[in-house]
Amino acid sequence: MENVIEVKNLTKEYKNLKAIDNLSFNVYEGEILGLLGPNGSGKSTTINCILSLLNYQSGNIKIFSKKMEPNSYDIKKDIGVIFQDVAVFNELTVYENIDYFCGLYIKDKILRKEYVFDAIKLVGLEDFVKFYPKQLSGGLLRRLNIACGIAHKPRLIFLDEPTVAVDPQSRNNILDGIKQLRDNGATIIYTTHYMEEVELLCDRIIILDKGKIIAEGSSDELKKNATTVEKITVELTSITKEIIDKIETLKNIDDVYINDNIVVITYKKDANNLEKLIDLLKDNNVSYNSIFSERPTLNDVFLELTGKDLRD
Amino acid sequence: MTVFKTFFKVVKAYRGTIIFYTILLIVFGGMNFQTNDNSMTFTNTKPDIAIVNKDSDNPITNNLIKYLKKNAKIIKLDDSESKRNDALFYRDVNYIIYIPKNYGKTISEGKKVELSIKKTPDYNAYLAYIMLKRYLKVQNIYTKTNTDEREIIKNINNSLDNNTKVKVMSKLNTTELSNMNSYFNFASYSIMAIVIFIVCLVLSGFHEESIIKRTIISSMDYKRYNRLILISGIIYTIITWLVFTILGFFLLKETLFSLRGLIYLFNSLLFTMCSLTIALLVSSLLNNKNAVNGIVNVIALGSSFLCGAFVPSSFLPKSVLNFSKILPTYWYINTNDTLAKLEIINLNSLRNVFSNMIIILIFILVFIILNNIITKYKRKIG
Repeated sequence: MENVIEVKNLTKEYKNLKAIDNLSFNVYEGEILGLLGPNGSGKSTTINCILSLLNYQSGNIKIFSKKMEPNSYDIKKDIGVIFQDVAVFNELTVYENIDYFCGLYIKDKILRKEYVFDAIKLVGLEDFVKFYPKQLSGGLLRRLNIACGIAHKPRLIFLDEPTVAVDPQSRNNILDGIKQLRDNGATIIYTTHYMEEVELLCDRIIILDKGKIIAEGSSDELKKNATTVEKITVELTSITKEIIDKIETLKNIDDVYINDNIVVITYKKDANNLEKLIDLLKDNNVSYNSIFSERPTLNDVFLELTGKDLRD
Repeated sequence: MTVFKTFFKVVKAYRGTIIFYTILLIVFGGMNFQTNDNSMTFTNTKPDIAIVNKDSDNPITNNLIKYLKKNAKIIKLDDSESKRNDALFYRDVNYIIYIPKNYGKTISEGKKVELSIKKTPDYNAYLAYIMLKRYLKVQNIYTKTNTDEREIIKNINNSLDNNTKVKVMSKLNTTELSNMNSYFNFASYSIMAIVIFIVCLVLSGFHEESIIKRTIISSMDYKRYNRLILISGIIYTIITWLVFTILGFFLLKETLFSLRGLIYLFNSLLFTMCSLTIALLVSSLLNNKNAVNGIVNVIALGSSFLCGAFVPSSFLPKSVLNFSKILPTYWYINTNDTLAKLEIINLNSLRNVFSNMIIILIFILVFIILNNIITKYKRKIG
């Protein structure tokens, strides 16, 4: 696959703080890359450096095999960015807003009109063309924000938490739209705090912490690399120290967490763990309300790698 | 064109505000016009006079009575002094002239005769006094050199019949000048409010951080983008000035296109451009739509009050006027007031006007420099 973005040894410092530390990665054509990391991990700084919105101390950034600089207008024409903050004019209608931002790229009026309607259709705003942003709900406003960023049909799209504070209907619409953009050939860099979106959308994930890549790969690859392979949650009718001690003697156990009557047991290896646990509880006459086993989620992987929950 | 068109689409969204300030100008400008309507047309009024003639049928006396009848309204009163006093008290007459016995004869002999007078203390009595004084002055001249009654009467009447024809050479008059001054002085508020309010509101949209980011990463050269916004702002400002000029033409008619009116117009154009530079400075300092209204009130309303846009500057305390010299509105209004007082217009008389205009130009330059410094500083921080 062809490289769309090449980041090599990127370093960005703010006074005494290293926001990005010798970062290198590639983004390939047609993929959706999830850029994850806790707050302050360097996600936004990385994106701003790639887009030449920020200067950086060292490193090299290429987009479409050309060095990206503030006046690289030939590269910029193929980039679309949707920031977390909604960037629209309150005085313009939905159509006029999209037309304006598309007009910064496309001069041809007829072609632009066609592109604007394509964008409106993609985000499902057909019924709101003449509405002003103030008349739109939060979800519809986010959809408008996306339409403004992608109307010029860019080959590379940056989406920075596009589904924050969005109702489920709009979220589904936005996620469908993103998939459609990818299917139409666009390369997408996606940042979010919602793991389920990452699992659903992203072909590849990069997890950043303290300006460095701490894990990279597909969702399944990341899960495979995790030390935890199974997680069993059991709700006991009553907990005694004796039974917890006995659980901890079981094989392959990584850790045991207790929260009221709920016990969460993580395992390093997958070897009939559920069956063995049920047997142990039976043998000791311990009754329980529920018990279930699950594979580690991406959030578990994230927690294991960074020590923080993604939404912290 | 996209940026230019969008600028004016956003301006259009605030058309209500534009109309509001324009109506303010028409209403308050119009009110000032009425206040200043000390019209150039006069109605001929005649004082009410009563004559108490004790003289016999003498041509000289008769000629005086004939003159009085021609120039005043003669009121007939009963031959009683108390009735005459009542008539004066109730203002039925303004002036009572007592012609003594043998008045005509004594005058024709070249001697002096005093006429007794009773009068009300008002303007009409004064008018009657002027009229009588004029007649007696002329009569006095001819009785000194001539004793023939006929000759005296003929000369008196000839002299009094001499009228001077006055032709108004200039179409300008003080009322029109006063109206023009009122219009342009009040326009300072409307112009400043409309330009600052609208430009700040429009630019607060274009200067919103997320929109700037989206623009910087677009394929449009950011410097060109900023240039287009500035040009749009200048065009909007000129359109605003043109609207006020057209409005001024409807209210002031051809007075506006006299040399004096054209200088007023040029002064207002300079002031409008100065308002634009203030708007650019304000919008680079502050990017909050909610604060714009307050800022406009402080700048436009405040400076209009302090500099004499609403109340003539001559009514303002000296300390206020001294303070207001730091505001461009003061120099704009000072130019207007100077123009209104000028008897003749030439390079010499316009010296003060030109120096005021240069001060406004300096204000424009200072605001542009400050704006550039702030913009560069902000960019550095960003």
